Order: sequence, then C-alpha cells, then structure tokens
Amino acid sequence: MERDSLKTDPALISLINEIGQINKKLDSLFLLNQRMLKAQEEVIRRSGLKFELDSMTLLVLPASLRKTVMALYKLEKGTAKDIAEETRRLRAVESASANQLVRMGYLKKKREGRDVYFYIEPALELKE
Amino acid sequence: MKAKTIAIHSSRGGTGKTLIATNLAAILAMRGSNVAFLDLDFSSPSLATVFSKKVDDPVLYWLNDFFNGKCRPDQILIDVSEKTDMKGRLLIGLANPTVAAIQNTIKKSRAWEVTAVKKLFAMLSAFFKEMDIDCCILDTSPGIQFSSINAVVSSDLSITVTTLDSLDIESTKIILSDLYDALSKKTAVLVNKFSTEMKLQSNEDQNILTSKLEEMLKHPVIGMIPCYCDVLQAERTSLLAVEKPSHPFIRKLEEVADKLEKSQYLT
Repeated sequence: MERDSLKTDPALISLINEIGQINKKLDSLFLLNQRMLKAQEEVIRRSGLKFELDSMTLLVLPASLRKTVMALYKLEKGTAKDIAEETRRLRAVESASANQLVRMGYLKKKREGRDVYFYIEPALELKE
Repeated sequence: MKAKTIAIHSSRGGTGKTLIATNLAAILAMRGSNVAFLDLDFSSPSLATVFSKKVDDPVLYWLNDFFNGKCRPDQILIDVSEKTDMKGRLLIGLANPTVAAIQNTIKKSRAWEVTAVKKLFAMLSAFFKEMDIDCCILDTSPGIQFSSINAVVSSDLSITVTTLDSLDIESTKIILSDLYDALSKKTAVLVNKFSTEMKLQSNEDQNILTSKLEEMLKHPVIGMIPCYCDVLQAERTSLLAVEKPSHPFIRKLEEVADKLEKSQYLT
C-alpha cells in the first residue's frame, strides 16, 4: 500500500522526471564530446599538422601522458598492452592516454590485424 | 649494477661534472664493469680533449654521426682501456668538438630532436644487448637543453652535481623539481668542491650537512667531495683514477661507486 502511494507522490514523480532529464542531457553531452573528439582528430589528420614530441615537450605534458610517451620512446611502437607493461599501469589507462595523445596530434596509430599500435611519427632525417 | 644508464648532469656549468663523470666511468671499468662513456654535451664537447692522449687513430665516427644516421652504435665506441690497467673495458663515444659540428647541432630542428631521443634509446639498447656493456655513463650539457633532457629521459639514474654556491643550490632545487621530479626520474645529488675552510673534518659534521641538504633539496645526497686544488690544476688529459688511485678525490668517488653498485639509489 505504502509503495502504491509513493508512485503517486507528486514530489517523487517530479524528482524522477528531473533525473530522467539530467540523464538525457548527460547522454547528449557525451555524444557531443565524442563528436568533438572525432572532429578534432579529423582536423589534425586533414591539416597534416605535426606536433613534435621532443623531450622538451615532455616537460609541458600532464604527468599521466608523459609516462605513456616515455614508454613509447623506448618501445618505438606498441599496443596499449605493451605500453602498460612498460609503465606498470592498467591497459585501459594507457589506451585512454595514448588515444588522447593521438587526438592532440603527438602520436599516430595504425591497425595491424586485430591490434592497434601507437607510435611517434619518425621525424625526417636531416642531412648535415 | 642495477643502474645501467647514469646521466651526470648539473644545473649550471663549472661544477666539475665532466671530471666526475670521467673518473667514475674509469673507476667502474677498473672494478671490472664494461663501461660506455658518452659525451652528450654537443654544444661544448670536452671528452675529445680529455682522452686525446689515449686515442691514437683519428676518430672515424663521432656521436654526432650516429645521431645523423651515418653509422651504427658500435662504430662510435673507442676502447681506451687497453692502455690502462682495467679489469673491465672503458669505451668512449666522443662528440665532435669542431666549430662546424657544434654549429650544425645548434641548427637542428625540434623534429630532429624527436629522432635523437629515440636513437639514444636504440643506441643504449644495442650497447646492453649486443655489446656486453654493463653500464653507460652519460656526460651531459649543463642546464635544460635538448641533449641534457634526452640524457635524463633515457637514464635509469641521474646524478646532479652541484657546488655549495648559493646560485648552484637554488638552480639545482629548480631542476630537481621541474625536471627530474616531472619526469619521475631517480636522482641523487653529488656535492663537489665544497670549501675545506668549512672544517667538516669529522664524519659527523659531514653527516649533519648531508642531512640538511637532503631536507632542503628533497633528494638523497650520494656524496660530498671537498675542493682539491691539485685536482683543479691538473692537466685535463690525465686520468686521475688510473694515475693516482689513492688520491682523496678518487677515494670519495670510490664511495659513490660503492653506493651505485649496491643500488641503494634505485630501490
């Protein structure tokens, strides 16, 4: 009986509606964020812009991203799992970190079979 | 030894970094390690002069050549241990000291530096895996420059050399926090050329000063070396660790080597 009265409680109904709307807004924000990240990636890809990942740049990167880059200096190229083995962090953390670096234009990624490899694009060799 | 690659760095010039790096490399080789000792100070190379009496043939390949893609890692190493009584081997890699080579390095772009740091990792890997090298000592340029950061990034341990001069201490504090801590690098501080007028005769006095410095710098102090006038005045081509192994300067460096071999700075 008490349960039935709750279902008709106007305050509760209003609260449930509010939560539903917040949920919808969060979903749309999430989708918008995904679209923006993809667009950002596409703009960088199309522009051909290259962001040099030298050791000086390392110092201005957030610490979490810096670890990923330092692992890739050593590995040359690696999957999120390879990077995670080097940094001793979770694979999911490295995947997020490496993908963020790709979006920032510092890393490249390529698919080989089922694996996705992250790497620092080789710079052009300069002749003396 | 757990620390395979050790960068010898300082926040400012004139701290005695090269002298320390040279003799530390020699001490480790004399103890039986195969040591690669590299001059990564491309803007002010000095090892070509330091080892000029120990290198007979003209240098075929400089470190610069390796970074410019002109040779393999093994081709830059010159064995200088044959002329000295060393249980291990001391192999040196020299930076080209000519003005043209220095200018060429200064002109390099950031793109080249990306390749340089990757090549440094590849070179060190080749030394350890293919050339039976136990330890690599990197003599770096002072302050924050590409070559010094590359050395720190690729090392297992950085030893930052400082004097007790207030400018040195202040700038050392900055690089410890903004460079080494930022890169999460194992770091130890080596105090060099402290004045004998400080009358730190007893071990207890030195321990008190060491503790104070460690508290201030928030990093371990691996050694305290007094200023020895005869060392500063000695010809730079003499290898003190070989020629005067019982000199107090070398004794102090032996203590540093003991600590490195015990790996207490890497645990």
